[in-house]
Amino acid sequence: MHGVTDDIMAAMLLLNLAVLGTSRLTFCITLVAAQGALVGLLPLVSSSGVTLRTLILAGVAITLKGIVFPRLLSSAMRGADVRREVEPYVGWGFSLLLGLALLGISFWLGAKLPLPPAAPESAFVVPGAICTILIGLLVIVSRKKAVTQVVGYLVLENGIAAFGLAVVPDVPLLVELGLLLDVFVAVFVMAIIIYHISREFDHIDADRLSALKG
Amino acid sequence: MSGDVLWLIIALPAAGSLLCLALPSSRAVLAATAAGVPAIAAASGVVVWRVFAHGPLMTTGRWLLLDALSAYHLAVMMLVFALSSIFARVFFGAEAAPLSRRRARRFGALWYGALSAMALVVLSNNLAIMWVGVEATTLLTAFLICLQVSPASLEATWKYLIVCSVGVAFAFMGTLLVASAAASAGLEPAQFLNWTYVHGIASQLDPKVIKLAFIFLLVGYGTKAGLAPLHSWLPDAHSQAPAPVSALFSGFLLNTALYCLMRFLPIVETATGGDGWGRGLLIFFGIFSILLAAAFILAQHDLKRLLAYHSVEHLGIIAVGLGLGPLGSFAALFHTLNHSVCKALGFFSAGRIGQIYGTHDMRRITGALKAHALWGAGLFGGFLALIGLAPFAIFLSEFLIIKAAAETRAYGTLVLFLLGAGIVFVGALRHAIDMAWGTPPAAPAPRRASLIEGLIVVAPLALLVILGLWMPQPFQDMLSSAARILAGAAQ
Repeated sequence: MHGVTDDIMAAMLLLNLAVLGTSRLTFCITLVAAQGALVGLLPLVSSSGVTLRTLILAGVAITLKGIVFPRLLSSAMRGADVRREVEPYVGWGFSLLLGLALLGISFWLGAKLPLPPAAPESAFVVPGAICTILIGLLVIVSRKKAVTQVVGYLVLENGIAAFGLAVVPDVPLLVELGLLLDVFVAVFVMAIIIYHISREFDHIDADRLSALKG
Repeated sequence: MSGDVLWLIIALPAAGSLLCLALPSSRAVLAATAAGVPAIAAASGVVVWRVFAHGPLMTTGRWLLLDALSAYHLAVMMLVFALSSIFARVFFGAEAAPLSRRRARRFGALWYGALSAMALVVLSNNLAIMWVGVEATTLLTAFLICLQVSPASLEATWKYLIVCSVGVAFAFMGTLLVASAAASAGLEPAQFLNWTYVHGIASQLDPKVIKLAFIFLLVGYGTKAGLAPLHSWLPDAHSQAPAPVSALFSGFLLNTALYCLMRFLPIVETATGGDGWGRGLLIFFGIFSILLAAAFILAQHDLKRLLAYHSVEHLGIIAVGLGLGPLGSFAALFHTLNHSVCKALGFFSAGRIGQIYGTHDMRRITGALKAHALWGAGLFGGFLALIGLAPFAIFLSEFLIIKAAAETRAYGTLVLFLLGAGIVFVGALRHAIDMAWGTPPAAPAPRRASLIEGLIVVAPLALLVILGLWMPQPFQDMLSSAARILAGAAQ
């Protein structure tokens, strides 16, 4: 099964870089949805195989991350009448370069981390997950728009989901569902706040949310 | 009493939350929170008493657990919630623009929802469900900050959401790492996230993995607890939220996150061979928080931001206490109660004084004692208690922490702690005196204080004075048994 896991992780890494290099916000949302669906598939190809537990998990994760979240975000965007560009603080070229550097760091970290010997499903999962987490953080801190920060948060969550699968393959189903519920509510709440922000400020640039100091 | 009663502590507030959505008017919602939450708190008090009298309660295959440590935190939480719920009715009743029905329903539902989520954090014996609870408190309380929608409150809400969600995500990675260490030490999938089981095999966990895990946990839960330098969301959220919500944030939301760290601390200590590695990290973050908060307190002009930085300071003090061994842990738990009660009173007073003066700018608040004797006294008394003046209980708990530092020969910690506390004492006392005395601005005479208002000012102050002068034996036993869990005992 390692082959499929490796393919999925490789696709996730490519999607990471694509998110960094994309200028269109709607496309960015589609990319992160595709990545979420891929992460949702991971439990099915893991060592536990196709069981009722992994089927439920994959079903819920793919529905939420692949379908519900992008819809929530696009409707928040439409409601907020957002300009279509991503508006980064750092240019796309430099973002990509940073992304590649993070990829290198992730592989170095993945080899260094004192993870339990039995853990990794495939040698690719841990560094891939770390890279996804780091790129999620990069997107959060380097983009101006509130919507893009949510995209970064989702990339981060995808990375954590993959990381979880690598280090603890069989977390109880109830716990996994609780986690997904939290992410769902988080995106829902953020979408509503974005709507309010757009009405109060006539824009949703998080960089102008800077009146509170000291 | 069977352990199933624990489910009620989570389910009753959840039911209250739904009920609030159906109530016909904002008066009804505020009455339902002001009466319902203290009732739930009283019922929980009975359960807490049962735990200290007859030992821990467990239910549903050890998914929920109420032992001495969680029972103590549950008691503090219920006390803060009950006081704040009563105050919420006073506060919103005195607002110039009364709450609309929609806002009131939203407030009631989220308020009860936050109570339910925090109860889940404290009661959960499953480390991942505990995390789910912490994240749920972030999401449920976000809309409480921007109950009155304004640009500033939205900014604060957005920062709170992003910083805390991202920060707490790191705590989840830490939890996963603990689980993976437990799994390789031989625990089954049903057990490796369960505190009781993980705690039982703590000495067999791989110390390297556990150290890595604790760094993630500290960064994650430290963000939510407002430990410097991870506190960036805290002053904004505390200053923009309505006063009852600020009181709740400062009084227990921060402590929920710190409670999670307390659960992990004994596991980390045992796994790393008891050389104080984890405790040292807590001391470092604690001292840093105290010193940073001291600097910001000196230069502060906004009353609620001033109180928010006091929260950073006091959470830092609790972290230092936790780092200083058995006596320090005892003092830290004692300080938790003292700070929560005192800070709730502080935000209550700041909220009402803010309503009377129409501003939270301390340069424009003068003569508070003349402008409104009760709330002026509440503010001044609250500040005196907060900065650790004898005979208030905070003086005693801080003194115990100093004693613990001296006993463990942590002289560097001792000096930095005294420096920070000294700066805060002088800085905050100056602010408090400037606000309390002087000539009040010519404002219309405020309406007379009701009996309820008198009670929520006098009761916290009385509690702080009594605990400062005399610690009842049952309360001391309670603290000792909770501190024993922090020192590594199973129950």
